[in-house]
Amino acid sequence: MTDAVTSTAQRAAARPAPVAEPLAHKLAAQALSLAEQAAAQSDALSAWRQAALAQLAALPFPSKKTEQWKYTSLMALDAGHLTAQAPDQAPSQTLPEPLAPWRLVLINGRYHAELSQLPPQGVTLTRLDGSAEAPLEAPLSVAEDGLRTPFAWLNSAALQDGLLLTVADGVALDAPIEVLLLGSAEAASHCHTRLRLQLGAGSRATLIERYIGQGPVLTNAVTELVTGDNSDLVHYRLQAEAADTLHIGSLILVPGRDSRATSFQLMQGNALRRNDVRVLMAHSGASASLNGIFVGRGNTHTDNQICIEHRVPHAVSDQLFKGMAGDKARLVFNGRIHIFAGAKGTNAELSNKNLLLSPGAEVDTKPELEIYNDDVKCSHGTTCGQLDAQALFYLRSRGIAEPEAKRMLAFGFVNELLAALPDAAVAEWARPWLESALTEAAQA
Amino acid sequence: MTSQAELDKLIRGDYAAGFISAIESDTLPPGLNEDVIRFISGKKGEPEWLLAWRLEAYKKWLAMPLPTWAHLDHPPLDFDEVSYYSAPKSMADRPQSLDEVDPELLRTYEKLGIPLHEQEMLAGVAVDAVFDSVSVGTTFKAKLLEAGVIFCSISEAVHEYPELIKPYLGSVVPQGDNFYAALNSAVFSDGSFVYIPKGVRCPMELSTYFRINEAKTGQFERTLIVADEGSYVSYLEGCTAPMRDENQLHAAVVELVALPGAQIKYSTVQNWYPGDENGKGGIYNFVTKRGVAHENSKISWTQVETGSAITWKYPSVILRGDNAVGEFYSVALTRHMQQADTGTKMIHLGKNTTSTIISKGISAGRSSNTYRGLVRISPRAENARNFTQCDSLLLGDTCGAHTFPYIESRNPSAMIEHEATTSKVSDDQLFLCRNRGIDPEKAVSMIVNGFCKEVFKELPMEFAVEAGKLLEVSLEGAVG
Repeated sequence: MTDAVTSTAQRAAARPAPVAEPLAHKLAAQALSLAEQAAAQSDALSAWRQAALAQLAALPFPSKKTEQWKYTSLMALDAGHLTAQAPDQAPSQTLPEPLAPWRLVLINGRYHAELSQLPPQGVTLTRLDGSAEAPLEAPLSVAEDGLRTPFAWLNSAALQDGLLLTVADGVALDAPIEVLLLGSAEAASHCHTRLRLQLGAGSRATLIERYIGQGPVLTNAVTELVTGDNSDLVHYRLQAEAADTLHIGSLILVPGRDSRATSFQLMQGNALRRNDVRVLMAHSGASASLNGIFVGRGNTHTDNQICIEHRVPHAVSDQLFKGMAGDKARLVFNGRIHIFAGAKGTNAELSNKNLLLSPGAEVDTKPELEIYNDDVKCSHGTTCGQLDAQALFYLRSRGIAEPEAKRMLAFGFVNELLAALPDAAVAEWARPWLESALTEAAQA
Repeated sequence: MTSQAELDKLIRGDYAAGFISAIESDTLPPGLNEDVIRFISGKKGEPEWLLAWRLEAYKKWLAMPLPTWAHLDHPPLDFDEVSYYSAPKSMADRPQSLDEVDPELLRTYEKLGIPLHEQEMLAGVAVDAVFDSVSVGTTFKAKLLEAGVIFCSISEAVHEYPELIKPYLGSVVPQGDNFYAALNSAVFSDGSFVYIPKGVRCPMELSTYFRINEAKTGQFERTLIVADEGSYVSYLEGCTAPMRDENQLHAAVVELVALPGAQIKYSTVQNWYPGDENGKGGIYNFVTKRGVAHENSKISWTQVETGSAITWKYPSVILRGDNAVGEFYSVALTRHMQQADTGTKMIHLGKNTTSTIISKGISAGRSSNTYRGLVRISPRAENARNFTQCDSLLLGDTCGAHTFPYIESRNPSAMIEHEATTSKVSDDQLFLCRNRGIDPEKAVSMIVNGFCKEVFKELPMEFAVEAGKLLEVSLEGAVG
């Protein structure tokens, strides 16, 4: 027997060279060229752009084989969204009624002061457009430990405009601040939106992020929320863009010591929707509550990736997400709870419930626990099913037509979340929004 | 509360089955190439088609990258340091009865508490004992044959029942299924073959004990169980291995075929050497287990995993036929530096298929215990039903417990429920027990046993006892 040929040598010879996925390769090149162009500018944001560019260049671009992108294909971006920038234009449509007395408007990522009502005293608005004289504190999206997704790096690397809202210590706002983000274009293009809210110690604020728009525009959004000690934050992320838009959003939340943060995400599926949410429980006594309603319609795709990291002792988090998928829609949910070794006394819970409303719909969900400490209480639960046949029969036997009965039951499914919305203006907006979202989802 | 020293002593609990029996072996030098495969095949006098099948698997394996997705951390494996064939020397002429078996070998079994002669009389269990790679003695064969049940080593089956082996070998786990399954397909040494004819209820529980005995020898078992229409079989697999420092590679494949109306119950107690408290030594266990369930059939996996330095194991069921049932009950215990990444896959293809997953993970020391599962509902699987519960118990603040369940639903009439919890041993329960004069170790042992009860009750009697004992040895002192 010859033992000259070993399997290691043969394996090396037989294994095909790793084939870069053509799409990922192409998109990565587009993203890099975009970032490189932007990074060539020299202004107050240069340092951020350079740092982000370096990260972007080093990070592998997501492909079908990337675990976090297992269920989401970037095929929709093949139309060249990353090669053209959405025009900076005045809105072609009348803006919807504001949900709050103070509203800031961004169109395709650009701030429009003429359409905005400035927030009151105690809140400072800084534009992140490179005009600042003093260098700005690096945002979390650029920090090593912040948002670590390629699209967040791309956003930072190509940053042209954005808003920084700072609420001073001890200021309690009695009404919400709304940021309206309109994305619209005729041809495949992209825009980057950037929003950062900093709450001072002992302050209280409500932020409404509201995304609207239509056309084949990719909104690559980054939102950073950093709250001070003993502060209160209520945050809404309302995503009501038309079905032909694309949205890739990254959100990071860092609650301060003994602070309370509550977030509601209401979204409709569109051509491509991907949300990466990262919550860092880095201060003891903090509590974070994340809630969401997702409605998939038509042929849309909605992918939510939520990661909560408990790094310090005695912080609490809970999550409740409900998804409904109609027609041929696909809902993807990944909820990750990561408890670090030192995080004693952590309580963390996650619940994800899904309804499939039609035979062509698909739900892929993965609640994850990664725990390195025994003194914790963690749980997650997820369900997937359809509307209760008995309940449906009951309603129909009372003379309620099937579509109406289904709509009622779907409302009932998410009602606990609707009822929990703390602001009346948002709650009033949410009901008709859900109504029309469900109507669209029911259409086959 | 006990002192830390006592607790440590209990956690360390030396490996009771750690001894090495000195038997000369006919072992190949380490390394793998086509000649090695030809040698293995030639040694067994295999037919040409099987050699071709092995070589095809080897070619596929060569082109496959090493999987890295599991939540495991181990030094890279060198497949050229593993010896791929080892047979006890005295086996050159197959012994026709136990009397012909090397007495040293029999003593080994006795040390393990499974003397074959006694087993024959005990509880009607037939034992197909595998010592390293060659079947040593098979008991109760005649009795089983009377019922028409075939229970023999797979090498024997290749010669005697090629008409049964050919269509089913690789039908559930194809050669190129995954890295370790491909490796197994190329070099599998031996294993068990079971065939239950139509409508037969196997008259006894079938059992195989494995031992890995030759240092640096990979053990590549291949098990194939075919339950014909309307039949029933319960199969037990239990393992223990001598203590040693070299990492031993184990890549087994188990294939189950449940034809319409058949039931297969497959139980495992795995207690291979887990390595010492610093993670030195221990078995690397990469196993592919899968069953195909046809109409109205049922496949049930029950496993108690306490051994191995690395466990990579996902017993799965493909619910192909309508009304098929899949079950997975698992207790996985890790301590010292053990790492387990285990779980199941339930692939629902047929209508009205149901699956149940109960997984209990217990981690202590500096170990890492991961549940990884997949529940997939295909668009055709009307009214499919799944229930999953994964609970983790952490003993100490240096271990990890993780849960990664994948749930994919493409049929609205399917109902899927998944829940997972992670906690430590409840102080209240502990207090209650101590209140009644139960010492802490005993109390923890009771609580952990209660935690695992749902799984233990699925085990056949003989195994339930062994499983309870295994947990007791490794766990009870771990409360601090």
